Amino acid sequence: MSAAGARDIAAMALRNLSRHKAKTAITAVAVAVSVSLYIFMDGWLLGMNLDSRRNIVSYEIGAAKVQAAAYFEKKDELPMHESFAGWKPLAESLERAGYAVAPRFVFSGTLYSRSGSAPLVIDAVDVGLEGRVLRYPSSLEAGRFPAPGRLELAIGSMAAEKLRVGIPSRPTPEELEELAGAARDAEEEAFVRGLYGPAPEDEAAAALEARKLALKPGASEAELARLWEILSASGRMDVRISTVIDQKAEDGSGRILHVNQLIDASVVGVINSPNPKTNGNVAFMPLDSLQDEAGLMLGGKVTELLVRRSGASDAELPGRDESAAAVREALGPALPPGLEVHGWLDYVDDYIAASRGDQVSTRIMILMLFVLSFIGIANTMLMAILERTKETGMLRALGMTDGQVVAAYMIEAACIGAMGSLAGIAIGCLINVPMVAHGLDYSAMAEQIGGDYGYRITALFRSAWNPPVIVLSGIVATALSAAAALLPSLRALRMPVTESLRFE
Amino acid sequence: MKVVETAGLSKDYSLNGITVSALRGVSLAFESGEFAAVAGPSGSGKSTFLHLVGCLDAPSAGSVSIAGTDVASLSRRELALLRRGSIGFVFQAYNLIPVLSAAENVSLPLTLLGVPAAEARERAGRALEEVGLAELGKRRPKEMSGGQQQRVAIARALVKKPALILADEPTANLDSKTGREILELMLALNRSEGTTFIFSTHDAMVMEYARRLVLLRDGLVETERTR
Repeated sequence: MSAAGARDIAAMALRNLSRHKAKTAITAVAVAVSVSLYIFMDGWLLGMNLDSRRNIVSYEIGAAKVQAAAYFEKKDELPMHESFAGWKPLAESLERAGYAVAPRFVFSGTLYSRSGSAPLVIDAVDVGLEGRVLRYPSSLEAGRFPAPGRLELAIGSMAAEKLRVGIPSRPTPEELEELAGAARDAEEEAFVRGLYGPAPEDEAAAALEARKLALKPGASEAELARLWEILSASGRMDVRISTVIDQKAEDGSGRILHVNQLIDASVVGVINSPNPKTNGNVAFMPLDSLQDEAGLMLGGKVTELLVRRSGASDAELPGRDESAAAVREALGPALPPGLEVHGWLDYVDDYIAASRGDQVSTRIMILMLFVLSFIGIANTMLMAILERTKETGMLRALGMTDGQVVAAYMIEAACIGAMGSLAGIAIGCLINVPMVAHGLDYSAMAEQIGGDYGYRITALFRSAWNPPVIVLSGIVATALSAAAALLPSLRALRMPVTESLRFE
Repeated sequence: MKVVETAGLSKDYSLNGITVSALRGVSLAFESGEFAAVAGPSGSGKSTFLHLVGCLDAPSAGSVSIAGTDVASLSRRELALLRRGSIGFVFQAYNLIPVLSAAENVSLPLTLLGVPAAEARERAGRALEEVGLAELGKRRPKEMSGGQQQRVAIARALVKKPALILADEPTANLDSKTGREILELMLALNRSEGTTFIFSTHDAMVMEYARRLVLLRDGLVETERTR
């Protein structure tokens, strides 16, 4: 048959859609719902993953880490005795190759404030170098980043709230009294009280937080700095770190020596970055302040070097030139035995597990929707083909081959699928527009679960555009719709032509 | 030239485990240009004969040759192509495609034959003109009377100029006046185009028009006469 003939058969199939407009429309709507939901969910997951990945690289890890192999094996236990010295030549090699490097000593401990205690992971960082690899040092909610050589801490905002250090943004009246009590004179007290007012008159929020006050939104940086100074002078920012220093015995026996250590320090800043990992139970302090007996007796050792390409864009994920292999190659013979380079994905098992879990569960749900749509189309086509048994017999009598009969019905089903797909793509894109531009605010949920839910997003869950998937979902839905007509049409062809012609 | 030749044509049906013989060894030949009727009472096997000759069903025994080709050796696809190219059908219930206009229904066989769209439209228009429906090409079947629909069905059978047109009780659903008009039309086309027509019928009027009449009874040829 010629192309024109195929076109005529397709035109006939299209007209057949008008026989039962309501049924066709309902079936197309089912396809549209599946396609639009798929586009929405895929865009949402993609957006969450893209933001999470960018935030992991920009705020948490960098592109790669250099660590002792023994440390990497037990990295979740933070085995500080697997630290290494002599990192500077490594950093110099990498910097010559165009990388930014930040050394760290990571340890765990308990942080005691005047109001309570909390277990924390403490990253001892090189204040000058850290900001060249990661962006959280400039994500301060209040205060400043610790200064080199001082026993100072910047602490995650959620830990600060729990330990009641820093400047509370939503204190209860009792907490305000406590803050006012820190004032050294009446003028300071009036200043402190003047910075807080009633919480916004949001009805839902008012019901939930009837007794909460709020920091005035117009408070200037100078006012906040003064409040910090007043609270700091009252001892609110003074904390004590209780930790255990694990060191390998110098006799070569491999024994681990444990030394209990208490470190008095001051909280000078509160971190609130787009990555919840920096805002939870984590603190940052200067690496150089922990070198001697007053600190951790590090003796120049670090547990890891963070690596990122110098001048890399925060919007871009690490490319091939930032892979573990590329960093390893840049280090060449400078990389001593026992040290390894690992890419950023090797450190985010929790995120990968959450992401994969969501991908699988969401796709299963959408697949079920597709199956339901498929059943809907199959049912519509089954009824349509059964109703047209006599007509099918006539078409076969006219000389239509089995293939042409099947093709005619499949085109008809594909048209339903295509209409549904086009509508679904339009609806999915319309939903995606505000989701990409504004996203959904999940900050309350993130706060409730301490930011520990795998994804590295603190507030806005934004979608992303995924054009190949948008197009593909329409194509797949149309193809599945066409396939739904295959079995009913083959069934119709099993009936002899004479029986089809007699069918009533 | 023999357009149709059957030899010992038999057809058995199994009905609730009982075998019923609809045809029991019918041997007939139809020459090009014949205007023949296969008649008989209900259950005599006339429609079965027409279906076997039209390659719509396979015989239990015997053979059918269309223009010298034994159809038993043909595949499903080849049978479809044979129907497409050589045989036109006119049915009692017209069997037009309801979503297509009269002109589109008529041009459908040409579309299947791969005739270019413009030529198919032009030929369909001519075929409708021949059956007296030149003005009704755009109407859908439900907008036409029974007689008009049967004329469209005749135009559809005729448009590809087949060697053979098989008409299964073509006047059964029509009043006698319209039935006569349809028969007159088919006779005129038979004369002008030389197309072979074979009817199945139990209508005396159709038998009256047929130049050759084959009477079947209980699946066998009872009598045969030619005028």
